Amino acid sequence: MPIMGGLSRYLRLLASLGVYTLNRELAFRGNFLVKVSVEVIWLGILLAFYKVVFARASTVAGWDEPQYLFFVGAFFALNGLIEMLFLENCNEFAELVRTGDLDALLLKPIDEQFLISCRRIDWGTAPNVLMGAAVMAIALHHGHWHLDVLRLATFLVTFACGTAIAYAFMLMLTSLSVWMVRNQSLMEMWWLFSSLARYPREIFAGAWAQPLGTFFTYFVPILVVVNVPANAMVRALDWPMVALSVVATVLLLWLSRRFFQHALRSYRSASS
Amino acid sequence: MPNLAAGIAREVREGTLKRYLLQPMDMIGYLLAYRVAHKFAYIVTSFVPYALLFLVCQLSLGVFDGFPDPMTLGAYILSLVLAFLVGFFFEASVGMVGFWFLEVTSLLYIVMTLNFFISGQMLPLDLLPQPWSRLLQLLPFQYLAYFPAVVFLGKVKGVELGLFLLGELLWAIAFMVLARVLFRMGLRRYSAFGG
Repeated sequence: MPIMGGLSRYLRLLASLGVYTLNRELAFRGNFLVKVSVEVIWLGILLAFYKVVFARASTVAGWDEPQYLFFVGAFFALNGLIEMLFLENCNEFAELVRTGDLDALLLKPIDEQFLISCRRIDWGTAPNVLMGAAVMAIALHHGHWHLDVLRLATFLVTFACGTAIAYAFMLMLTSLSVWMVRNQSLMEMWWLFSSLARYPREIFAGAWAQPLGTFFTYFVPILVVVNVPANAMVRALDWPMVALSVVATVLLLWLSRRFFQHALRSYRSASS
Repeated sequence: MPNLAAGIAREVREGTLKRYLLQPMDMIGYLLAYRVAHKFAYIVTSFVPYALLFLVCQLSLGVFDGFPDPMTLGAYILSLVLAFLVGFFFEASVGMVGFWFLEVTSLLYIVMTLNFFISGQMLPLDLLPQPWSRLLQLLPFQYLAYFPAVVFLGKVKGVELGLFLLGELLWAIAFMVLARVLFRMGLRRYSAFGG
């Protein structure tokens, strides 16, 4: 029962934060429109890249055109979800550490990880999720996909897992700000992370790329994030990979939380 | 160039621009000198990882046919220096917009996102279908990533190389003039504010 009470409390809090940030965002409508325009341009760039590649090849590492388009949509939606919910907050963390404002936040009777990760919802990137979903729908239509409830369910579960894995990595990167106070490199590291997640895992073939692909699938499972959901939906249902995805999610969420709390403890002892 | 345009806009907004006007120091000249120094430091520290990356590419994919001949190498270095100037003065010009709009970050965001694709950083511009490929090669942004790369690889030679390098020089001069003109016009407007 305490768990349930706790969960509904956090959900209500999240809803309030969502409404509050949405109001603030709409107060600066011009800025909001600019942000959305940039995301549309970015989607355009991703689609242009996809089109150019498929003008010269009919498959890329075993992915044909509609399948790859689905992958692009899945990537865009997942990235949009992460940016909407967590990126701005994690970026802010370094500033909080540097200015010492983190102390005020830590005093609040709320779980610190929730407070740090979910303070603001970036509604500017929220349309990305819808745009990604639209691209995925178009891809499914082109690929003559028929409704398969098992695949859809697997997709949704592994998509959630991918989001959780990406969040866990972001949290671990953010926690480093406690030691490296000027963590402007967070955005750079995140760009690298999303660059890896942006392409299908199967492109890592060949003498040098293969070990890299293996490393980033089984040890630092970045390549699992978009690959497993996309594969589950439009290509083969690879149960071992789905299992890997779920196990990695649980492990990484636990690990990132422990690391974050370790970072907070280090912070406390330093500030006094 | 991290923080160049945003930095100029911030100095306009916060009024710290005054120090350039009070001191016998040219703001654009100062920023250019600062950037050159920054570039040297950056090149020195990032040289090893990049060299390693090129080595791996060469060993695994055999991308390069050895080093290009001295002429091509010379043209390459020239294209890099001019690329720095084009990039610097272009971003400085964008920063100067801060005199009129105070908040430049939105514009910068759009420009930088477009630039990622248009400069050829994402994929080589000659892979694009025809009307686009030609169009983008006429714009100055190709000099920021695509052009130096194709010079090094020896894909542009002879008269064409000379023409493109001349074009690069002209774009650098054009943006330099633009930045100066905008600075002058902006200062007049700025003084009207501060009084």
